[in-house]
Amino acid sequence: MRFKIYRYNPETDKKPYMQDFVLDNISDDMMLRDALLLIKAEDETFTFRHSCGEGVCGSDAVNINGTNGLACKSRLSELKEPIEVRPVPSMPVIRDLVVDMEQFYHHYRAIKPYLTVKDPVPEVEFLQTPQQREKLDGLYECILCGCCTTACPSFWWNPDKFRGPAALLQSYRFLADSRDQATSERLQELDGPYRMFRCHSIMNCVNVCPKGLNPTEAIHSIKKLMVKDLV
Amino acid sequence: MKTKDNRPKYLNLLKIRLPITGIASINHRLSGLILFLAIPVSLYLFQLSLSSEAGFAEMLTCLSSSWIKLALVLLIWSFVHHLLAGFRFLLIDQNIGISLPIARKSAWFVVFAAVIITLIISGVWVL
Repeated sequence: MRFKIYRYNPETDKKPYMQDFVLDNISDDMMLRDALLLIKAEDETFTFRHSCGEGVCGSDAVNINGTNGLACKSRLSELKEPIEVRPVPSMPVIRDLVVDMEQFYHHYRAIKPYLTVKDPVPEVEFLQTPQQREKLDGLYECILCGCCTTACPSFWWNPDKFRGPAALLQSYRFLADSRDQATSERLQELDGPYRMFRCHSIMNCVNVCPKGLNPTEAIHSIKKLMVKDLV
Repeated sequence: MKTKDNRPKYLNLLKIRLPITGIASINHRLSGLILFLAIPVSLYLFQLSLSSEAGFAEMLTCLSSSWIKLALVLLIWSFVHHLLAGFRFLLIDQNIGISLPIARKSAWFVVFAAVIITLIISGVWVL
């Protein structure tokens, strides 16, 4: 099986280049992550992030044949040869497939991804009805791999101002939570032409999400809450 | 040793696959731009056609050149695509058809229907 891998070593390379690899011992049930590990065994200077190997940690987000995805969830037999693997788009490359995710985390921190409660905290646990809990489905599953945000053209052109689909989905995860009491503050923070309104429903985020989530829908739900908050 | 600021970024638009929903979106912007740029030309031709009988004839000769006809076909496509994609975006804004399978189908529909309707209108009016 043929591979083209994006290589860049800041200490020796002036600019990135593509390196060819051929692997013979590929079986049908192997994922791209397994192949990357075999390549690393061949050439130990090759660097990429990975951890759990089952789509839970979100470490191995890469651009596979032009589409973002998790290496550990991408079956080799379903990919077209030569399999081209590059880092996720628009992020500063530290080395090979490893990118600097600081900008991504900056936006995540900015939406305050935790419950804010103003009333006195109950002595026992917070209670939610099954219906209230259901509202978090399709939101809480996000693993922050960054596939969506780095596939978003609005984020490419305004990485410092637009929060990006991942952070906005998380923002709605807390807006939709019956226990959270900071609705107005959260909505105010997202107001303005850039932070949320740069979303043009391109839906690249939904196309690439390895967990099958829908950030576009979450963003529209935030917009509706904004209207309600204003009226 | 490279510093943090001059790290390369991978952003080769020719290598990054744009899904059909993205194509519908970028075409929406492109067609909007074309429509906007066509406003002064259309207004000029309109004004010329109303100025006098000779002006009307001049406008007709203007429109009969094959380059202008090609531009006219492009303009018709821009209008049809922008209209159809605009309706699609309005529906998606209302969370109608926002799930990925339906959004993909509606994007394919918009892209294809715009081309087919353009061909029909062009066949009747332009050629």
